[in-house]
Amino acid sequence: MLTSSFQILTNNPLVAESFSERFHVKFFDDANDRDVLRNVRDLVHLGYRVLTAPLSGSVKPWETPYRSVMMTSDHGDEVDAFSLDIMERALAVIEKSKDRPWTYTPSVLYDFQVIDLSLIESALPSVEATGRL
Amino acid sequence: MKLELGYIDIKGIRFGDHNAVEDHVLVVNPEELLEPVLADPLIKTAHFEIANPGESIRITPVKDVIEPRVKVEGPGGIFPGVISKVHTVGSGKTHVLRGMAVVTAGPIVGFQEGIIDMTGVGAEYTPFSKLHNLVLVMEAVEGTGQHEYEKAARMAGLTTAVAIGELARDLTPDESVVYETPTIAEGYQEPLSNLPRVGYVMMLQSQGLLHDTYVYGVDAKRTISTLIGATELMDGAIISGNCVSACDKNTTYHHLNNPVIRDLLEAHGKTLNFVGVIITNENVYLADKIRSSDWTAKLAKFLSLDGAIVSQEGFGNPDTDLIMNCTKLENNGVKTVIITDEYAGADGKSQPLADADDLADAVVTAGNANEMIVLPPMERVIGTLNFVNKIAGGHDGSLREDGSIETELQAIMGSTNELGFNRLSAR
Repeated sequence: MLTSSFQILTNNPLVAESFSERFHVKFFDDANDRDVLRNVRDLVHLGYRVLTAPLSGSVKPWETPYRSVMMTSDHGDEVDAFSLDIMERALAVIEKSKDRPWTYTPSVLYDFQVIDLSLIESALPSVEATGRL
Repeated sequence: MKLELGYIDIKGIRFGDHNAVEDHVLVVNPEELLEPVLADPLIKTAHFEIANPGESIRITPVKDVIEPRVKVEGPGGIFPGVISKVHTVGSGKTHVLRGMAVVTAGPIVGFQEGIIDMTGVGAEYTPFSKLHNLVLVMEAVEGTGQHEYEKAARMAGLTTAVAIGELARDLTPDESVVYETPTIAEGYQEPLSNLPRVGYVMMLQSQGLLHDTYVYGVDAKRTISTLIGATELMDGAIISGNCVSACDKNTTYHHLNNPVIRDLLEAHGKTLNFVGVIITNENVYLADKIRSSDWTAKLAKFLSLDGAIVSQEGFGNPDTDLIMNCTKLENNGVKTVIITDEYAGADGKSQPLADADDLADAVVTAGNANEMIVLPPMERVIGTLNFVNKIAGGHDGSLREDGSIETELQAIMGSTNELGFNRLSAR
């Protein structure tokens, strides 16, 4: 069944709300973007593969507080080198990026959530067309 | 394919009681021209403002910049599959209103970005400061979703540009240039057969809301890498639905006036044989990236390319596609030059891209988007400054009390454009 073939790790409440009933979503409430990516990276070390780009769009890491990443829900015996490489590179970008010293209004935060949701949603037709992930 | 572009130089814009191009001046009747825009139930208010080069004006937040054109001979119409019927364009004759643009402005989301200063230091960083701009400022009906409003604003800009382009249908161009591309078979005949076969790989942003590009009306994220004629772009085959990365996104104006294509056509038959254009997307799903870059390399091999130029669009995610395209081309024996920009920190010392490879050994950079700049206050603001503190590159306190803005280059429209459509260079 499709819903068992992938999982989404996110700190975006809108992704959790929109997808939780259909897919397996790990929602990290109050976690920052780095925490989400570190959790993804840790799962890569356990043999899970990354299915979507961790730097999902062109919204800058020092702008958006949200990250959502799609991964396989089953893990293999070996670490997937491609997944590990892309996660380490993404983490390097996020970690070098400057801090976000300002706070957003709720409406701006919501806009960031909508964009992040749209980015991860854009992968769905592709994942749905794929037989075995 | 053979396309003649007839350039009609526009030297000013003024409001009047009719719509026309008179003595190189665009006369706009706002009421008439806004009618189709305001017919969209999602658009609450819309009005035009005029911004000329050298005036103390700041336009922000800018969504798209569009050059008005009209097809006067040959099949199809401008912006096929979106405004005109979907017939293949790129041949015949097209009139261009050169020296002006329709600029759409107004926030789609709360962190909207994109500044065009018409004078001062900021104006040097954006090519659009040298144009007479008819700015379409819009506001959506309250409660309109971001997706719906992005589409409404996109269509409003294109519709307005096409209506203005139509005014140039019967005019005599100030200059005409013919662009012609050969078939594959012609490319193997003298004198082209003696020249290196060079292709252009154009990457299109395609990741979702505010990151989208359309090819003949098809959402680029749902495409696989394919071939397109160089002159098709000049008739609006590719349009921008992209509102993020003001500095390095391709506006519709960029697509219409792609400088890589123009330079390759200029060099064609002299120093190289410009074989064709491959367009390829930049998706979120990693398997899509692998497939699209595989297809890019496959098409390049199919075309027997000796060399390729790859241009990127955007930041972060597409760095992966860029390096995949580059390495796969190189591994297929195609010598590759990439055009990108850098996010190397304010001091320029950090790793500039999110991906890298030894095979990416020929790089043209369009500049460091993290470089800080102070934009002086302007007498007039078209749009709103409410969002300046939230634009990419801005930070809390970006907007100073005197109206000046301390920000990174990335807030400026087209400042580090990865087609090389920039005003400043190290040349």
